[in-house]
Amino acid sequence: MAENIRFVLNGETVESKSAANERLLDVLRDEFRLTGVKCGCREGECGACSVLIDGQLANSCLVALGAVSDRDVETIEGFSRSERFEILSDAFADLSAVQCGFCIPGMVLAAESLLRFNPNPTDHDIREGLSGNICRCTGYNAIVHAIQNAAEKGKGLW
Amino acid sequence: MESKARQEKNTEIGHRTPLYDAPLKASGVIRYVDDMKLPRMLYAKMVWSTVPHAIIKSIDTEEAEKMPGVRAVCTWKNCRQVSYNSCGEDIDKFLTERIFDQRVRFVGDRMAAVAADTLEIAEKAAKLIKVEYQELPFYLDAELAMKDDAFPIHAGGNVAETVCMNAGDVEKGWTEADHVLEYTYKLPAVHHGAMEPHTAIADYDASGKLTVYSPSQDIFGCRANLSRIFSLPMSKVRVVNPCIGGGFGGKIDAILEPIVAQLAMMTLRPVKMTLNRREEIISTRTRHAMTINLKTAFMNDGRIVAEQMTMIANAGAYSAGTSSVVWASGGKFFKKHKTPHLRFTGYPVFTNTPVAGAMRGFGSPQRCFAQERQMNRIAKKLNMSVLDLQLMNLVDIGDCDARNQVAHGRAFPKEAVLRGKVLFDWEENLREMKRSQEDNSRFRIGIGMAVGVHGNGVYGVMPDTSGIILKLNEDGSLTVFTGYSDMGNGTVTTQLQIISAVSGIPLNRIACVTADTETTMWDLGNYSSRGTFVGGNAALKAAEHLSDELKREAAEILNINADEIVLENGAAVWKDSRERFTTLADIALHAKSVNQRDICVSDTFASQNLALSYGAHFCKVSVDTETGIVKPLLFVAVHDLGKVINPMQTEGQIEGAIQMGLGYALSEALQINEEGKITNAILKKYKMFHAAEMPEIRIAYVENSEVGGPFGAKSIGECSAVPVAAAVANAVCNALDASIDRLPLTPDLVLEAIKFRGLSG
Repeated sequence: MAENIRFVLNGETVESKSAANERLLDVLRDEFRLTGVKCGCREGECGACSVLIDGQLANSCLVALGAVSDRDVETIEGFSRSERFEILSDAFADLSAVQCGFCIPGMVLAAESLLRFNPNPTDHDIREGLSGNICRCTGYNAIVHAIQNAAEKGKGLW
Repeated sequence: MESKARQEKNTEIGHRTPLYDAPLKASGVIRYVDDMKLPRMLYAKMVWSTVPHAIIKSIDTEEAEKMPGVRAVCTWKNCRQVSYNSCGEDIDKFLTERIFDQRVRFVGDRMAAVAADTLEIAEKAAKLIKVEYQELPFYLDAELAMKDDAFPIHAGGNVAETVCMNAGDVEKGWTEADHVLEYTYKLPAVHHGAMEPHTAIADYDASGKLTVYSPSQDIFGCRANLSRIFSLPMSKVRVVNPCIGGGFGGKIDAILEPIVAQLAMMTLRPVKMTLNRREEIISTRTRHAMTINLKTAFMNDGRIVAEQMTMIANAGAYSAGTSSVVWASGGKFFKKHKTPHLRFTGYPVFTNTPVAGAMRGFGSPQRCFAQERQMNRIAKKLNMSVLDLQLMNLVDIGDCDARNQVAHGRAFPKEAVLRGKVLFDWEENLREMKRSQEDNSRFRIGIGMAVGVHGNGVYGVMPDTSGIILKLNEDGSLTVFTGYSDMGNGTVTTQLQIISAVSGIPLNRIACVTADTETTMWDLGNYSSRGTFVGGNAALKAAEHLSDELKREAAEILNINADEIVLENGAAVWKDSRERFTTLADIALHAKSVNQRDICVSDTFASQNLALSYGAHFCKVSVDTETGIVKPLLFVAVHDLGKVINPMQTEGQIEGAIQMGLGYALSEALQINEEGKITNAILKKYKMFHAAEMPEIRIAYVENSEVGGPFGAKSIGECSAVPVAAAVANAVCNALDASIDRLPLTPDLVLEAIKFRGLSG
């Protein structure tokens, strides 16, 4: 019997009962009930299932559970306890960067990942930073503006 | 700070109000259907047809049924055999579909479903089902399917109906005109691309009640279908929409709901089915592929005297909303130009391809593409500006539909064109286009434009009503019950803004219950661009009713006449002195303690007129003549929408429509091979526009109050999607001085046009 996979999930060490070859997306949604992680395509194209693994943006549908053994996984549920989330979330809501909302947890994590590496992004940088995330509702402008606003308001936090 | 000041002034109308549920969505805590898990819930997996047309000779489910954990296997042999139309709008016509049928009619048609303890078991069991087909002739092309001797896909033949509409005498037009042009345009089937795939949960309880959780755009249509299929009174069927992850028309139809309901009734356990993206693309709904022939007669000065459109709409394997799509698209053929002689003939045709249904624009993006490509051609032929051609032909306020003399309402498409011309900097960009042609440069600049029209609900076709309940709570806060399923397009937020503006109750004191057939009043559904015009009016009517009730109580408390009271900032205030007021909490208390009653109002609004929304779109592109790649540089959208209730949501609708339209124009199309299989049913191959690919967007509004609109407002959701692709295509054609009459404008197609024109880089 293989050993259970242990990893840090939203700041807490957890042990998964799932097999090492399960998709991280399914483990997070089904075993840990972290349903803020969305499934849009299961092929790594839409970004709705984005999570941060050791701080790096990743599509959880393309990551096997075994690959996060002893690593740090953060989902929108974990990130939403941070001050940086508050700023991003307010900016997304205030500028109507949210319509149906399905892509938004992934977008917010993509924004976090972008701002961590580049706290003062240009419009172009933001659009490149969202290259792995599809939104079918907004046309992206509102999302780009929201990230710009959050970067300005949250100066020093990233 | 800003929002506090606003609430005190109570000026919700025209304000950039955020979506009421945006914070819940941003933090990922809002619950979509696939996030739900009911006790003892089973997971279901569908088995899809792998052939385009066949009779199921035998289907062997024994192995699947034997698998531990499998609780039900359903095929045509053990499901309800009731024919239905999945689209609520067309529920009484063309009942072509069943839960499972002995015949399959496209690759991706439903053949069987398995419900099991886990999804893994259901998937494994689904693979054990063995089927023997007796294959039948199949048609992927509507023009072949409509031939007289074609094998019928449904009893009654492959041409579902012939839709004819006429005004004047086109024959007269052909003889009178200085010129006649006739071209054929081809549009592909496309995928809606909502980020949330179709999903549904059914729960059939011990009392014989069926509850279905579904991201449905049409909960009442879905309930009506479930009630018919399972012979249940509507009181025993509840359809709830907790939240939709995007619709765009693709979630109007009852697709998975009858299947999970059947499985829940077989197992007496809740059953969930969620499609993956591939299943979503091959099996749900598409925008209609169309072939449109357009013949236009015009004078030397550009005046169009006659126009005839023949539309062949590929309905796919089942009818869904096709009939309404063709009728609606045809109807709008009579609403854009002053042309006196018009003839529209539409043929919805069954083929062995995925089912076509409603998709943002409801047949109008296709019709608009043909008409606006033709406008571009006419302008070129007459050597006149396409803008002048538009101004000569577009309708004015007071103009009527030539078929029946019904007025178009307060229509201002010309103003939209003129505003757009300035905002786009048309003349300067035209010079740039000419320069790039003269320089024979590799990257050719092109500009183009198109004008679109769309409706505001379905008035005139069927009763178009929305019901609202407003319930004042003991503390003076308000609960709104609305039948709308807000797709993220802001309909419910618009309703809340209107209720707040009229009743003076601040938005942060208003909560809402949405889209639940059991608790909310009947509503036609979240389609046909009726959210603002009909839903907004329902909110207005109910809020006015509520205000009367509030004032009645307040008048007793303040001992003044009700008509001297103003409602603002959560209070009833005497108009002569702000010192004399009473709060809504006091009003609620007074109603309870003195008059011993609740303050609760319910109203139904029935639309009384069909307003029309117009939009002029302008696009600038750069075309790489070596690779054929088109890069959109600038997009301008000017919309005649009466009054903007929420500028931020309106911009969001338009920008989203441009994203969708650019895909339609340049990259999106379902590719179906000769065996009827979709070969690009994954997002890696089905390309929707990303953030970095979007052009600069400029938006403006023509705001002239519409008669019958709430605060004068008209729709935007679909109108904004109608002219996009046509504007892009005109820009590309103008850049190359070429004609491309099909979508999408892929690099291959563009290179072919370049080759044909003999252009060199």
